[in-house]
Amino acid sequence: MLADLIESLAKIVFIFSVNIGFFAPVLGWVERKQSAVMQDRIGANRADIFGFTAIGLFHSLADAVKVLVKEDFIPAGANKFFHTVAPFICLVPAIVTFTVVPFGGSYTVFGHEVQLVIADLDVGILFVFAVSSLAAYGVVLSGWASRSNWSLLGALRASAQMLSYEVAMGLTIIGIIMVFGTLKLTEIGAMQENFFKWGIFLQPVGFILFFTCAIAENKRAPFDMPEAESELVAGYFTEYSGLKFVMFWMAEFLEIVTIAGIVTTLFFGAWHLPFVTDQKLLEFFLFAGPNGAAVLAILTNIVTFFAKVVFFIWLQMTIRWTLPRFRYDQVMRLCWKMILPLALINILITGLVLLL
Amino acid sequence: MSTTKKPDQAECHPMVGVPIATLKPKQVRRQIDMTLWEKLYVFEIARGIGITTKHFAKNMVGFVAPPKGKKRSVFTVYYPEERVTLPPAYRGRPVLVARADGTEKCVACGLCEKICPASAITIVAGEKDNAERYPMSYTLDMSRCVYCGYCEEVCPKEAIVMSSEYEGLAQRDRNAMRYSKEDLLRSEESVQGRLDFIRRIYSKCNY
Repeated sequence: MLADLIESLAKIVFIFSVNIGFFAPVLGWVERKQSAVMQDRIGANRADIFGFTAIGLFHSLADAVKVLVKEDFIPAGANKFFHTVAPFICLVPAIVTFTVVPFGGSYTVFGHEVQLVIADLDVGILFVFAVSSLAAYGVVLSGWASRSNWSLLGALRASAQMLSYEVAMGLTIIGIIMVFGTLKLTEIGAMQENFFKWGIFLQPVGFILFFTCAIAENKRAPFDMPEAESELVAGYFTEYSGLKFVMFWMAEFLEIVTIAGIVTTLFFGAWHLPFVTDQKLLEFFLFAGPNGAAVLAILTNIVTFFAKVVFFIWLQMTIRWTLPRFRYDQVMRLCWKMILPLALINILITGLVLLL
Repeated sequence: MSTTKKPDQAECHPMVGVPIATLKPKQVRRQIDMTLWEKLYVFEIARGIGITTKHFAKNMVGFVAPPKGKKRSVFTVYYPEERVTLPPAYRGRPVLVARADGTEKCVACGLCEKICPASAITIVAGEKDNAERYPMSYTLDMSRCVYCGYCEEVCPKEAIVMSSEYEGLAQRDRNAMRYSKEDLLRSEESVQGRLDFIRRIYSKCNY
């Protein structure tokens, strides 16, 4: 009982610190620096402590100090309650969705079985969709409560776009659920021990469709209609400042991490190295004793999983800085006329292949 | 066009350039519709990502271990530490050219004051004992100057040139932007590049 509690707490603290403490601030730096490197620029590198710039990493720190001392502005005529509560509604789903993503297998350490996932829910992937779609409320509320035309337009666009892509995203994932026959993300991960059983080989079309939908759901370029800087100032969070603004920002970055985690789990072998099963890993580390082997295997799993996550974060950043923004009708057409039918055809073909 | 014509002068042909008869409308194929390959999106997007990834990889190598003897492919200039070398055609702050003895070349003819479109120049002329004119005060209001370079073009004495100075042009106080003769005097060597340049472009070689 106590061991369970310690295990759960350790996992929660680990994921929370990795996501909020590492990914959220560092991705702000990554976005600036990666865009700079891709565009033959140098990027932010001037913030320094005693002359050390650490290739611009201190800009995150400087940003944190800046937002902490900034005025928390609420526009006149805004609905104060909803204006305050909207960023929380945006941020909480982004944090919560990572709980069902497994970042390692299940091992026995000192007679206690450790499963490297915070909440091993039976509904798994459905929980991710259910919670992440709550973020739409935060967006719509923030736009509506700000009493600003830019915000309202951004919120309108966001609501239409997010609801549309919700449908398509749900359908794109059905193929992979049919193939693996389970909703549990841990089981889906465990089934991908064999390299040729990775989701990307079983559902290549599903991967492209899901990834597109996920980026659209996250409202990042090329789907950043709701926050189009050149059209709507900053879209639904135009009227936010200080920490509340950063909450939207963090929600976006954490969703990037979550998308990367889910893509890794569903399509890219979760925590598995290619051609290395968990059993092989334990045998490889057997020199450290059974418990030491389990601990080393857990560390290997975590490193492997987060290496894949970092790759998909990089890919999303690259896409964001490569492609120009879609027009609004193009976004809608892409969803309803291209992704949705393709997803349905994908389901049909998957079903036929499974049946035969 | 002049209406008077000498008797032996040939008829002036009004048409200049290529005769119209030889011109043909150029056929331009404006293919606005995308091909099927492009309509599939995915491959074209992958190609675009490939291009940006190529730049990313190349520049990452340049950041971590820059190739020996090769300049980095990043064009950014670290401004206060690094300066770009400006071309002689750059029009910065107008300055007065000093003679070798430190006095100004200006003879206070007033042409620059006259031509200045922004009325930035104010001259009070004086006369030396040897009946030579000189500016008693030469005031250049840099809050009005538009850097057109007319003053330098019109100056018969090469006394005012556009230097390559671009720092300290903006001030918080407009009164601080009014520069006197003493503030503007520069030695001839420091503006030699620009002097050579204006001699070429304004055909001032006969001075």
